[in-house]
Amino acid sequence: MTVHQKNLRTERVQHGLFLTAAALLIALGFAFWGTLGWGALQFFLRHGLNRTILGLQYHPIKGQFGLLPFIAGSLAVTLIAVILAYPLALSVAITATMVLPRRWLPKIRQAVGSLAAIPSVIFGWWGLAMVVPLVRNLGGGSGFSLAAAGMVLAVMIIPTLSLLAIHAAMRVPERWVEGSLALGATPDQTLGRVVLQSIRAPLAEAGIVAVGRALGETMAVQMVIGGQPFFPHSLLAPGATLTSEILNDIGLLPPGAFGHRVLDVMALLLLVAMYGLVLLVERIGGREVG
Amino acid sequence: MKGTTWHRLAVVGSLLTTVVFGLLLGDLVWQGLPQISLRFLWRTPSELSSLGGVGPELLNTLLMVGAASAITIPLGLAAAILRIEYGARPGFLLVFDRMRYTLLSLPTIVIGLMVFEWVIVGMRWPLSVGAGVIALAVVNWPFVVDVSVAALSGVPDSFREASLALGATKYLTLLRVVLPSALPALVSGLGMAIARLMGESAVLIFTAGINVSQHWGWSAPGETLAVHLWYLRTESVAPHADAQAAATGVVLLLLVGLVLYLTQKLAHWLKPMDALKKI
Repeated sequence: MTVHQKNLRTERVQHGLFLTAAALLIALGFAFWGTLGWGALQFFLRHGLNRTILGLQYHPIKGQFGLLPFIAGSLAVTLIAVILAYPLALSVAITATMVLPRRWLPKIRQAVGSLAAIPSVIFGWWGLAMVVPLVRNLGGGSGFSLAAAGMVLAVMIIPTLSLLAIHAAMRVPERWVEGSLALGATPDQTLGRVVLQSIRAPLAEAGIVAVGRALGETMAVQMVIGGQPFFPHSLLAPGATLTSEILNDIGLLPPGAFGHRVLDVMALLLLVAMYGLVLLVERIGGREVG
Repeated sequence: MKGTTWHRLAVVGSLLTTVVFGLLLGDLVWQGLPQISLRFLWRTPSELSSLGGVGPELLNTLLMVGAASAITIPLGLAAAILRIEYGARPGFLLVFDRMRYTLLSLPTIVIGLMVFEWVIVGMRWPLSVGAGVIALAVVNWPFVVDVSVAALSGVPDSFREASLALGATKYLTLLRVVLPSALPALVSGLGMAIARLMGESAVLIFTAGINVSQHWGWSAPGETLAVHLWYLRTESVAPHADAQAAATGVVLLLLVGLVLYLTQKLAHWLKPMDALKKI
C-alpha cells in the first residue's frame, strides 16, 4: 500500500468520526424533542388541553394545571429586562466604538467579555442583597417581585448584549463615518443615520439573543421573584416564571406523582420558544445557517 | 461641539452601567473577602456553625467541570470540523445548525429536567457526581461546537487551498494547517466555555444534588460552588449564611477569572504561530 492510499484510508475513517459526532448532536436534539413531546402528549391525553395552557389556576394537588401565571411571568420579566438593558448596552457600545479612543477597544471588549462570564447565581445573590430591598423601599410589599427579577435579569444580560452591539458597530467601515462627517452631518446625525442604520439586522439579532437569555434564566430569577403560582396582577407582586416553577416543582412533583408530566409541558413550551427564536434569527439573516 | 446629545447620553448610560457593576462586584467582595481564609477553602460546610468551608465544593467544581470538558471538547470540536471543514448535504447542515442553536439557547433547567428524567429516573443513578458530569456535558457540548466553529471559520481559505494544492489530503490539511492556525482562537473560546460551565447551577441541583459527602466518589453527591451559593442564600439555616454565600461567590469569581486569565494568556502566547495578525 502506498503512502497516499494509507492517507486516503485514514481520511475516510476521520470523516466518519466527525460525521458521527455531528449526528450524535442532532440525535441529542431529537431526544429532547421526543422526550418532552411524549411527556406532554401523555399529560394532554389525561388532563386535556384547555385547562392547561389557558388556565389561570395552578394547583397540582387539586388537578388544576393552569400555566398562564407562569407564561405571563416569563413574558413580563423578559420584557422588563430587555427594555431596561437594551438602551444601556447600546450606550456602552456607542461609547466604546465612537467616543473613546479606538486603541482602548480590545481592552474594553475583554472587560465586557469577562463580565459576561459572571455566574448567574451571583446576580441572584446581588438581587437579594440590593435589588429586593430597593424595590421594597420604593414600591412597598416584600420586594420579591416581577420587577426585581426583571431588574436583576437586565443587569445580567447587559454584558452579552453590549458585546454583540460592539461587534456589530465595529463592522461599520470608518470611511462611512468620515464621509458622513465630511458632508457636514453632526456626530448625532452620523450615529443615527449611518452607523445604527447600517447595523439594524445584527442589532435586532442581539435583541433576540437577549430575549432568549432572559427567558431561559432560572437561578437569578428564582432567587428574587418570590415563587408564587398566582397570576401576577402587578409588577410589584411576587410571581413565578416557567423556568423558576420547573425548579420549584421537580422536588414537589417527583416522577410517578400525579401531575409530574406538567413539568414536561412547561419545558416543551420553553423548547418551542427557543426554536422560534432560532428561526427568527435565521429569517433576519444575521446568522449564516445551512 | 454641536450635535452630540446622543453621544453624551451614551456616555451617561455607560457610566451608569459601570456604577451598577461596580456596586455588584464591590458589595460581593466587601461582604465575602473578610470570610475567606485557607481554612475556609479547606473545611467542609457546616449547618450548625459559621466555621464551615467550601473544600468539597471547590474540589467538585474543578473535577466535574474538568471531566465534562474532557468529554465535550473532542465531541464538540469533531462536530465543528464536520460543519466547517468537511461539510455535508445542505439538509443535514440545516438541521445540525438549528439543533445546535436551539440546544445552545435552551434554558439549562430544561436540560437539568431531561438529564434528571433520563439518568436519575430512567437509569436509576443516585444524585451524584457522575450524573452531574453528564448534565454539564450536555450543557457544554453545543457551546464548544459554537466556539470551535467560530475559531475554524477565522482561518482564511487561502491556507487550505495552498495546502491542498501541495498535495496534502483534507485530514493532513486540517491537522497541520487549519488547527494550528485556529489554536489561539480555540483556546480563548474554550476558556469562555469552561468559565461558563463553572458558574452553571440550574442543571446540577437535581442531578448532582445539594449535598457533599465525606468520601468523594463518582456516585457520591456532588454539590458545586455555584449550587452551594444558591443553597446558602435560599435554603440554608446556618448562621451567617449570607456572608458565607458572599465568600463562596468570591471564590467562584476568582476561579472563573483565573480560567479566563490563563486561557487568554495561553492564547496570546500561541499567537505568534499565526501567520496573519488578526485584530
